[in-house]
Amino acid sequence: MTGLFKTLATAAGLAAMVATPILASASELPGNVRMVIGSKSTGGDTYQNSAIIAEALSKKLDINVKVDAVGASEAFKALERDSRGTTIMIFHDQSYLAHLYGVRGYDDIFENFKVGPTVAINPGNAYLVAKNSPLQSMEDVIAAAAAGQRVRVAIQAGGVSEIGFSALKNAVKIQHPGAEENIVPVNTGSQADKNQLLFDGQADVINGSVQANEQFTQLPEDDQKAMRFIWLTAREETIAQANPEGMGDTTRDELLAFTTPNVSVTMDGEKDFTFDKEFFLLFNKDMDPEQIATIDKALTEIFAAGEIQETQKASFFIPNFKPSAEATEYLKAKREDYRHIIDAIATN
Amino acid sequence: MDLISILTPLFFTLVAVGTVIGIIFGAIPGMTATMAVAVCLPLTYSLGLENGLALLLGLYVGGISGGLVPAILLNIPGTPSSITTTLDGYPMTMAGEGENALKIGIISSVIGGLISLAALYLFAPALADFAIKFSYIEKFLIIFFALTVMAALSSSLLVGIFSGVLGIFISLIGAYDISRGGNGELRLVPEFLEYYLESGFSLLPVLIGLFGLATILIEAENGMPEGQGLSGVKIAKGKPFRLSVFKGQIINLIRSSGIGTFVGILPGVGGSAASILAYSQEKNFSRHPERFGKGEPAGVIASESANNGLTGGALVPLLSLGIPGDSTTAILIGAFTLQGIQVGPLFIGNNPVTWDAMIIAMLAANLVMFLVMIFAIRHIAKVVSVPKNILFPIILMMCVVGAYTINYGVMFDVWTLLIFGLFGYLAHKIGLEIAPFIIGFILGPSAEIYFVKSLESFGTLSIFFTKSWIAVLLWVLIALSIGFSIMVSRKTKKMR
Repeated sequence: MTGLFKTLATAAGLAAMVATPILASASELPGNVRMVIGSKSTGGDTYQNSAIIAEALSKKLDINVKVDAVGASEAFKALERDSRGTTIMIFHDQSYLAHLYGVRGYDDIFENFKVGPTVAINPGNAYLVAKNSPLQSMEDVIAAAAAGQRVRVAIQAGGVSEIGFSALKNAVKIQHPGAEENIVPVNTGSQADKNQLLFDGQADVINGSVQANEQFTQLPEDDQKAMRFIWLTAREETIAQANPEGMGDTTRDELLAFTTPNVSVTMDGEKDFTFDKEFFLLFNKDMDPEQIATIDKALTEIFAAGEIQETQKASFFIPNFKPSAEATEYLKAKREDYRHIIDAIATN
Repeated sequence: MDLISILTPLFFTLVAVGTVIGIIFGAIPGMTATMAVAVCLPLTYSLGLENGLALLLGLYVGGISGGLVPAILLNIPGTPSSITTTLDGYPMTMAGEGENALKIGIISSVIGGLISLAALYLFAPALADFAIKFSYIEKFLIIFFALTVMAALSSSLLVGIFSGVLGIFISLIGAYDISRGGNGELRLVPEFLEYYLESGFSLLPVLIGLFGLATILIEAENGMPEGQGLSGVKIAKGKPFRLSVFKGQIINLIRSSGIGTFVGILPGVGGSAASILAYSQEKNFSRHPERFGKGEPAGVIASESANNGLTGGALVPLLSLGIPGDSTTAILIGAFTLQGIQVGPLFIGNNPVTWDAMIIAMLAANLVMFLVMIFAIRHIAKVVSVPKNILFPIILMMCVVGAYTINYGVMFDVWTLLIFGLFGYLAHKIGLEIAPFIIGFILGPSAEIYFVKSLESFGTLSIFFTKSWIAVLLWVLIALSIGFSIMVSRKTKKMR
């Protein structure tokens, strides 16, 4: 019996030793933090942007922050499970847009999680056509739809890729009521699939990005792979903050030719539609507010130092830090803007 | 920076270290080349682009190659593309030829790797232009072609087809993923499992459950005399290895490496299809198809040269179109984006030094892989002499750890491993075929998406026959493959 007591006492002692640092540091961040992201790709903008933030937070707080590209579904689950601050998440507007579009598995992030600081914008959300397409601009696209021609747009349904499509459809509805039915989606998956649809002539317009598609726009017109930008959804002032050299062989000024007001896709007959793809943190609903404050404070100091902005801009991100409280209100307002467009299309 | 200044001792050390770590990852059931590359990706920040790529490419080549070790010695494919290696590799081990099978696999791997590397270096842009001729329709037909092998891999035509179709059916459980062009709705999932089965069953836990756990359960039922090794025979009992085993295999090597490279350049078709196609083609062309599945060295040669042929092939669309050719190169692209380098049709022209450094890293990785594995074989092969009562618990532990880590810590993946381990055991009892089942499971989701998308785009089934000359050619190959399977089946029945 004595032996058993000894064993139990040792186990209890060990458990207490293990638990003590956790309890003692409940208001601080743990030494190892897992940053899950809403994408499974390590080649995409979400991973790239998260890696920059993880690196900066690691240095600033002297902790390990590891980015795990688990995808939206698993990331939300992991975040829901962990209120200790060991798991945090970075995602972008897809997180609430997919909810607006009614995609299964996407709940209201403002109800189920704490929305954290915004950190950057990817200004590269773009729409492209084949270089030899008769549709040379968004004006051509809208005119073609108005004239009764079916315009097939390759997108990934239910999120960032679809919002520009919805805006286009909404604009056609406002300018040429009834003709919006001629703007039809071709739902597909990866950028590779969207590109392939354009190569095959199975889509007239594709959603893409400056980063992924810019090199294709440099190819000669007789190349089957050659593409042309016709619209960047980012605000003019967002692109204006990019480095003057722009991306690849396309300068910032050349990119500005594809944003409003040079390209007009109306939102309500007066204002043009714009969409900045913004990245922000998400926390478990029950995460200690002091831990969130620690992250807010660390990021405030990181952005105040100014170094991270250079790294972000070098990767064609536009720095956009807003602390948690401000970011929550800002993103809620942004969601309402896009809810109107999605509702307008839904009432078709 | 010029090429010479990049090719430092550190560069080659990183290639070697990456290759060795990759081999270890590939050799542990449940750990893959993809995982090895993902784990080491953040290191590219501190190493710089070329040195980072040296490490990652070493991991890639090593990871793909390491998969042959458990496939041959333990009947557990270290990676999904090693499934067909188990078909003849493991019977060779059971016949005391494990060391020979490993040597054949390693030599085939290095030849496959080098042939695909040559194709990558000499023809990358042209191959990429050819790859984009393959739309959803042609890709569906390639997968259909690979699926026709299901029947050929079974002792009974009907049982093989049934097992394969069951595999496809189970692979479709879960959401019709919007990231693949679906509508996000769940199919075939009971309500109480919706939370767990949103993404369906993960491939790796299914694979190691069916091959690893099921084998252990079957062995446990048969009883394991203490101290008896896996094969029950001494390693050296088999014939000594002679290079003459490759006599008459030149065409097999070239054709299988070519199939591997070709499948690699087609994004979305998947690496497993490469070794499956190469294996079935070798069986079709062989004078002794009845020997396949019973320890035929040509089967190991076809499978291993094809899956290493994939390594160069999968880099073609990555470096020429900015599109990854398989799951590992999908991680690899992160090394470029983290450094702010665009990968697309202008990459090779704009970055000649990086391009050359990558080719040299791949070449070095293949050579290191060959040297490390060929010299380590004697020791690795001894695993079969470890008593089963010691070996099996270790394998079981590795399987569980591998299943848990594959998706960064999802407990349901461990349950998946156990469920499919049990399923594999029961399948053995009732006579279902595991190889066609897993091939159906792997290829099912791609077949579905390409089939549905083709119909969505064209609205008629006739498009599968009329889209292009490539489609017509693929139908001819499919018809030949099916005809061959029926012929072999009849021949086998007569022999019985």
